[in-house]
Amino acid sequence: MARREIDDEKRSYSGVFLLAVGLLLVGSVWAVWDDYVSRRPWKKYQASFYSLAYDKARNELMQEDQRLQADPAYQEAQAKLTAAQKEFSDGTTGKRLADLKQKLATAEIRTGDAETALRVVKSEIDAAWYEYEHAQMFGHPTQEAKLTLDTLTAEANELDARFRTAQAERDKTAREVEELQLESKQWEDKIKELTVARERIKQRLDTYVLLSFNGFAIPKIPTIQQIVLNEFDRGNFDTPVARVDRCQSCHVGIDRSGFEDQPNPYKTHPHREILLATHPPEKFGCTPCHEGQGAATSSVEKAHGEVEFWEHPLRRGAKVEANCIKCHADVQDLPLTQQIAQGEGLFVQLGCHGCHVVEGYGELPKIGPYLRRVAAKDDPSWMVRWVTNPHEFRPNTRMPNFLFKEAEGTAITAYLLDASKQAGEAWLQAHPEPEGIDPGDTALVERGKTLVNSLGCRGCHGFSPEQKATVIGQSQKDFAPNLAQIAEKTSARWVYYWIKNPRDFSPTTAMPSLRLSDEEARAITSYLMTLGEKAEKPEVVARLSDPEVIARGKGLVRKYGCYGCHNIPGMENEARIGVELTAFGSKTLEELFFGNHTDIPFTWDDWTYNKLKEPRTYATERIEQLMPKFDFADEDIKAVRVFLTSRTEQRIPNKYLAAPGTRTQNIVNGQRLVQYYNCVGCHIVEGKGGYIRALYTDNPTFAPPILTGEGAKVQPDWFYGFLKKPGPLRPWLQLRMPTFGFSDEEARTAVDYFTALAKLAVPYVYVDRSRIPPEHIASGKKLMSGDYFACFSCHQQGDTKPEGPPAGWAPDLTMAKHRLNPEWIIRWIHDPQKLMPGTKMPSFYPGGPDDVLEGNEDRQIEAIRDYLMVLGEPEEHLATVQATAHETPSTTTN
Amino acid sequence: MNNRMWHQLTRAAIGVGLQVAFLSGAWAYEAIDVKDGGTISGEVKFSGNPPTPEKIATTKDQEVCGKTEKVNESLLVGANKGIQNVVVSISNIQKGKKMPETGATLDQKDCRYDPHIVLSPAGADLTIVNSDGILHNIHTYSTKNPAFNKAQPKFKKEMKESFAQPETVKLTCDAHGWMAGWLIVQDNPYFVLTDAKGVFKIIDVPPGDYELKLWHETLGETTQKVSVKAKEEAKVSVEMTKK
Repeated sequence: MARREIDDEKRSYSGVFLLAVGLLLVGSVWAVWDDYVSRRPWKKYQASFYSLAYDKARNELMQEDQRLQADPAYQEAQAKLTAAQKEFSDGTTGKRLADLKQKLATAEIRTGDAETALRVVKSEIDAAWYEYEHAQMFGHPTQEAKLTLDTLTAEANELDARFRTAQAERDKTAREVEELQLESKQWEDKIKELTVARERIKQRLDTYVLLSFNGFAIPKIPTIQQIVLNEFDRGNFDTPVARVDRCQSCHVGIDRSGFEDQPNPYKTHPHREILLATHPPEKFGCTPCHEGQGAATSSVEKAHGEVEFWEHPLRRGAKVEANCIKCHADVQDLPLTQQIAQGEGLFVQLGCHGCHVVEGYGELPKIGPYLRRVAAKDDPSWMVRWVTNPHEFRPNTRMPNFLFKEAEGTAITAYLLDASKQAGEAWLQAHPEPEGIDPGDTALVERGKTLVNSLGCRGCHGFSPEQKATVIGQSQKDFAPNLAQIAEKTSARWVYYWIKNPRDFSPTTAMPSLRLSDEEARAITSYLMTLGEKAEKPEVVARLSDPEVIARGKGLVRKYGCYGCHNIPGMENEARIGVELTAFGSKTLEELFFGNHTDIPFTWDDWTYNKLKEPRTYATERIEQLMPKFDFADEDIKAVRVFLTSRTEQRIPNKYLAAPGTRTQNIVNGQRLVQYYNCVGCHIVEGKGGYIRALYTDNPTFAPPILTGEGAKVQPDWFYGFLKKPGPLRPWLQLRMPTFGFSDEEARTAVDYFTALAKLAVPYVYVDRSRIPPEHIASGKKLMSGDYFACFSCHQQGDTKPEGPPAGWAPDLTMAKHRLNPEWIIRWIHDPQKLMPGTKMPSFYPGGPDDVLEGNEDRQIEAIRDYLMVLGEPEEHLATVQATAHETPSTTTN
Repeated sequence: MNNRMWHQLTRAAIGVGLQVAFLSGAWAYEAIDVKDGGTISGEVKFSGNPPTPEKIATTKDQEVCGKTEKVNESLLVGANKGIQNVVVSISNIQKGKKMPETGATLDQKDCRYDPHIVLSPAGADLTIVNSDGILHNIHTYSTKNPAFNKAQPKFKKEMKESFAQPETVKLTCDAHGWMAGWLIVQDNPYFVLTDAKGVFKIIDVPPGDYELKLWHETLGETTQKVSVKAKEEAKVSVEMTKK
């Protein structure tokens, strides 16, 4: 049966196939292109980087070549070398060299042959020995074997001699060749030396390309550069998860120097020498600091995490510092962390922790005044004015503005006065109206003013609106109140007892006692009472005793959480009213309430900025907001925002944390103490602060001592005691180190802080006096006498005071043995100006006398130090020290 | 023009500018042979009632310091109201006579700086002498030159120091609070002090227009334009007073 033809078979499908093949081809090409090119933008960046780096290095190479060409030394070496080589290629030297080389080759062969022959004979001797010994052992005849052995040994001796001759001949020829080439070798070495830099560039150049020859180069094939941080993150079930960063696939130059002036992504990491040296990228990756989506490679936006639903976008600008604090508790002490340090400082010093719980900032003291006895202190009319709007009375106060209406201010005042009435009255009874205070007595007022300006009050307080003392942040918040209108606020009676002993009124105050005499306190109080005047409002005062008003006030105090900063009777068990901020940085936009705002961009940054700028801006008719207004400067808002950015849920694994040791903890605790008591109002600590120094620019000698390096200077026992009970050390200062009334814990924290800053492993001092060489005592005494350094021309020695007025005196040197670290004394005598710029203490070295301790200056300084260690002791006691001293000369140790 | 080219161009422009500035000698004083130099002379007078200088009570090392009477030298006005110790200098001179080869000497004698104001050419040695034989120290309040505070005990009669940068430096002795002096470092040789009558004279000035600077430690600074002609004497008369 004939096969029935089907119509379809007659039709040609080649067109369709062609089309299908075409589509498949296009599809395949597209798939490959899409996969290898369009989804891998990093390839382009990497390739551009390498081409840029190659061009740059080639340019450098060209410049280096030009430099070499212009360098006469190089030219000379090159010319000499060419000349030497030319001589070798023709002329008599060339011929001689060729001959020598020929000779050397022959000698090599001869030596080799002789050596081989010798070896063969030696192995034959071994075999012969075996035969001989074997024969001996079994009693066979040995004569033949002995004969063979003797013949072979004779042959070996002859061959050995031949070998040695050949060897000597070869070495001699080799030396001759070497000698002939010596000069050219020298020039070759010289050129090598001159082209070290060029070789280095050349080597670098080669790392930027796959292959290069004669200026042609085959570019590198871009590859993913990735870092895996094992167990860095935690998964949804709290299982460790690795983090993968591929950032360096585009940011190729990040860990190479020389690309500082390039744009991103080719740029070298800013401060690479510090930041990447301490955080090598292969160990720390990139996103732990910068955030972003490290594993993403398909687009710049995705890699930077600046896409929807990625919760950790790249930290741009100052926010890059936010994560520093996650591993470094001591950001206040680090370089390059100004923003986060400023933000953290503001958070603590403006008392944000009073309302907001933040992990790690829970145990900080309340920053506001103690109000349990406020009825004995504040003028009621003033208090209403103050509570209603503190910024109107003192524009730079730390107290924020709660935007109260006067009725609310009155109610709160009414409650505070009522709650503190009993305690206030009891205090007043115990502190009768002082006598002798008279703001009208100009001499007394003038005396008070002089005292205020000279005792150190101005380290913390201003006394007129334009006077600035210690200020916090760019907003210039006063650390302590500006006292320009103090007489309106309080009474002479309260001021008098307060300045004499602040802790008597308020047990937790940061205000120290200046150990004022009654006369001084009277003068200062009289002066302060000339600043401002009472503005009584009887109609307001009348309402303060109304029980309804008082009750309303209690409700307001509770509602606005005044007890967050102040110690208020009746509010001991209240919880903080603000939102917990421990993980505020992790908040998503859905969790942030923008109120009725449509003008604020929908980002975390903008929400936070506006919240800090206008805290109640997101309030609506139905949703009330309570946060008070701080009147922040923009820079401060940004710094606080950096700190808030750092408050995330992310926990960094321990192995990434920076030295989580006691030293860091001691520094952090110490810094908080220094901040709380404002030591930096007077002293420079860690290079910061010293606000009062502005008054002593003409003569810095009269400013308070700089405490940088204090831990290495003083002995911890003495320091501890001094902090507990300070007294005058420097007779020329009118300023007084105040008594802060530190607790044991606080004084220890301060000592530990300075010890930690000085990086001392053992701060304690023990002077082994039996090891002080006796001649040191005698020489030290001599050097300090009037004939030499005349130390006691200025220094006190126990009760022996120097001549002239105390302004010209210097510290009592009998204190040195208990107060100063002996090692520090050595450094101090070497160069006092280096340790304390501007000090009155002159340098005596270099320039010691020639006739003491053979003019050996180091020993002279040791002798002075050693003498100071026994200075002030009775002579007979000293004699026994010297009698028990060992023969071995040695220095004291700490 | 792309960015890189702009960058290179600006860099080149700055480079050329710097070189021009350097070559024109904008910062350097050049020593030449002054042949027909003129003279600037004159006197500085105090206007108003001159105060009587207060006496200084020496409170220390009486056997040395108490031998002579001392007064506060921060403002000394002579009988005809001439002010002593005014530093008169030409501030804007580029070329002129050679810098003196020998440096100045400052003596600590009878617990007083002698001279009260010492003029030290930049780079030259300043010899500091201690004629008293008791401990003195020289404490300089410099900002441009390295500040120092060096002791000069009895056994050290003489020290040498040198100051490279032009500056007006206050000197004190921390061992003797009343001792105060000044060190004037200048990078051209045209600076003199007025004498007890307030009279001064600057010689060998190449002809030209100059700005004369008059500085006094208490009365501050004033300037005066002066035109110097060859071999002639330009007269200047200035009044200073307390501000």
